[in-house]
Amino acid sequence: MKKLKRILIANRGEIAVRIMRTACKMGIETVAVRTAVEPDAMYLTFADIIHEEDDELAEIPVFLDVEKLIAIALKTKCDSVHPGYGFLAENAWFAEKCRDNKIIFIGPSPDAIYKMGNKPVARQIALKHKIPMAMGTPGSVANEDEAVRHAARIGYPVIIKAASGGGGRGMRIVRQESEMEKMFTLASREAEKAFNDPSVFIEKYIENPKHIEFQVLGDTHGNIIHLGERECSIQRKHQKLLEEAPSPALDDELRATMGETAVRIAQAVGYYSAGTVEFLLDSDRNFYFMEMNTRIQVEHPVTEMITGIDLIEQQIRIAYGEELTLKQADIRLTGWAIECRINAEDVQAGFAPAPGRIEKISFPEEPGVRVDTGVRPGSSIVASYDSMIAKLIVTGKDRHDAVINMKKALDKVWIKGTKTTLPFFRMLMRNHTFQEGTFTTAFIEKNLDRYHCSSEYEETISAWIATKLFTEENLSSNSSSISFDQGRDLTPWLLRKRLTQF
Amino acid sequence: MTPQKPAIKKLYALSNEGKKFAFNLPLKNVIRVNGRDYSVELREDEKYGVHVLWKNRRYPVEIVRTKQNRYEILFNDISHTFNVETPVSMQRKRVLGSDRKKSSALIVKAPMPGKIIDVLVREGAEVMRGEALVILEAMKMQNEIQSVVSGTITRIGVKAGQNVMKDDVLAEINIK
Repeated sequence: MKKLKRILIANRGEIAVRIMRTACKMGIETVAVRTAVEPDAMYLTFADIIHEEDDELAEIPVFLDVEKLIAIALKTKCDSVHPGYGFLAENAWFAEKCRDNKIIFIGPSPDAIYKMGNKPVARQIALKHKIPMAMGTPGSVANEDEAVRHAARIGYPVIIKAASGGGGRGMRIVRQESEMEKMFTLASREAEKAFNDPSVFIEKYIENPKHIEFQVLGDTHGNIIHLGERECSIQRKHQKLLEEAPSPALDDELRATMGETAVRIAQAVGYYSAGTVEFLLDSDRNFYFMEMNTRIQVEHPVTEMITGIDLIEQQIRIAYGEELTLKQADIRLTGWAIECRINAEDVQAGFAPAPGRIEKISFPEEPGVRVDTGVRPGSSIVASYDSMIAKLIVTGKDRHDAVINMKKALDKVWIKGTKTTLPFFRMLMRNHTFQEGTFTTAFIEKNLDRYHCSSEYEETISAWIATKLFTEENLSSNSSSISFDQGRDLTPWLLRKRLTQF
Repeated sequence: MTPQKPAIKKLYALSNEGKKFAFNLPLKNVIRVNGRDYSVELREDEKYGVHVLWKNRRYPVEIVRTKQNRYEILFNDISHTFNVETPVSMQRKRVLGSDRKKSSALIVKAPMPGKIIDVLVREGAEVMRGEALVILEAMKMQNEIQSVVSGTITRIGVKAGQNVMKDDVLAEINIK
């Protein structure tokens, strides 16, 4: 067993920073890749070695280019690669190429990635191991006609999912037969575009479930444990916005049952490294296996905060063959943790992406507040990558306490330069259903009539600012009367300059 | 010599939702809500950028877009749009407003920059409210741009595969 010496970070943004922090703590060197889109990105400052990649004319981002990443790893003498999440994190081919080149892939085996990544295969494995699942098709569905036949057997509503999917893309809910043709085409097309594989399958759609996922950790010696659950029901269009651990919907008994099921699924594919088993929980507390994510997840910090375990460190130790020192009985869930995904999105325009340049950014620095970010003042949120600015993770002794702390922390976040999802979270912390913890995945789209709230005070102050700017702009120099150059077009840049003269 | 203009005593900020806020001139650093006065200050410094000081707390302020008398103010990360009017321009607006006929055409614009993956309707086609017009991909997500009205497509402004900027015209619909 040899300790790792140098890791290639095959990723960018906050997760690259996150991995490099732990590597640094463990005394392992890191190599980061500088790309043409983000030459001054913050993650580069955390690397021991920066590989310069001239990818301005590249057809695909370097983080998706298997051959290129392998070449970089070999050239920079890395003994291992961490894929982070997204990009090639769940690409069995990449994991296999690493193995072929004697580079340790910090993650599960290519075989486990393939089996869990291909949803129909995963379903068959789960079926064989008697894991509770929603009724569905045995494999992929070839065309609309076949889809209609299967849906009739399963019963509407059904959900069409991409066979190679994940992250909520390529999914469509079909409530009646007449919608099937259109939805099938849309799902299949989106699947092809996103995952290079148009095949889809069909499952019974569970109405208004909770999305509960279990963190598992396995080593190469056959030990597998779970680290409790994460509640991820706060989502919009299948994109998670907020996660917490534990879930207000689980008690110790249900947690033990679901956790044991999650471990059984992981065992079925000989899983090692960190992984996540996703379940749907219906209102009668029945749970159904949905899928397994064979990577570190965006929301992993909430689990770290309540277990005190550094998941990246565990991934690295497992990767070089160490045996898990943690036993299931050692895992204690202490307190409560909530994570808000602060994205560059316009909440008032239906969460439309709002790329831009971050001018100012600061977060509260106090105990119980953790911020995972990959941006700093001057950084750009570019349209070619995701819209994540930062993850704000706040803890409390219980859920109530954590919600109060999050409310306070959100008020202290200062971001200038782009619109963000902050107004949504500020509103959410004050929402009764959220405070009660009884929400389901339908909550955001069905139970909220607006995604932000602003008081009469805030509106009046904004009106006052507009009026103030108007008077500054139109006040003639030698009298107190106002002149109206209606044709004059003012730029924000001009206004900003004038504001400094107050 | 141009004749001295009469001094204006009042300004109105009209919000997009039709709310009217009146302010006396010269403008003081005070807002009045529910009959009570509160002092506010607009400031800019190196550390925080442009911000408002209100009730001992700082709030971020951004002027996102302005043209003529129209201001989009981002206050505490929420945007509000106002037209600032004088008593005279208010009067003029009222007269003009009653004259103008209600428009019966709707222009569908791109809500965000991205790439058109597919155009699902043709010129001359009848669409129902909620029907998908185009699929726009932005930030790895495919978004269905739906019609908010029922009517006839009079123009399609984009082709599949084309990149669009925010506010580019996607389609024009004659409202039924």
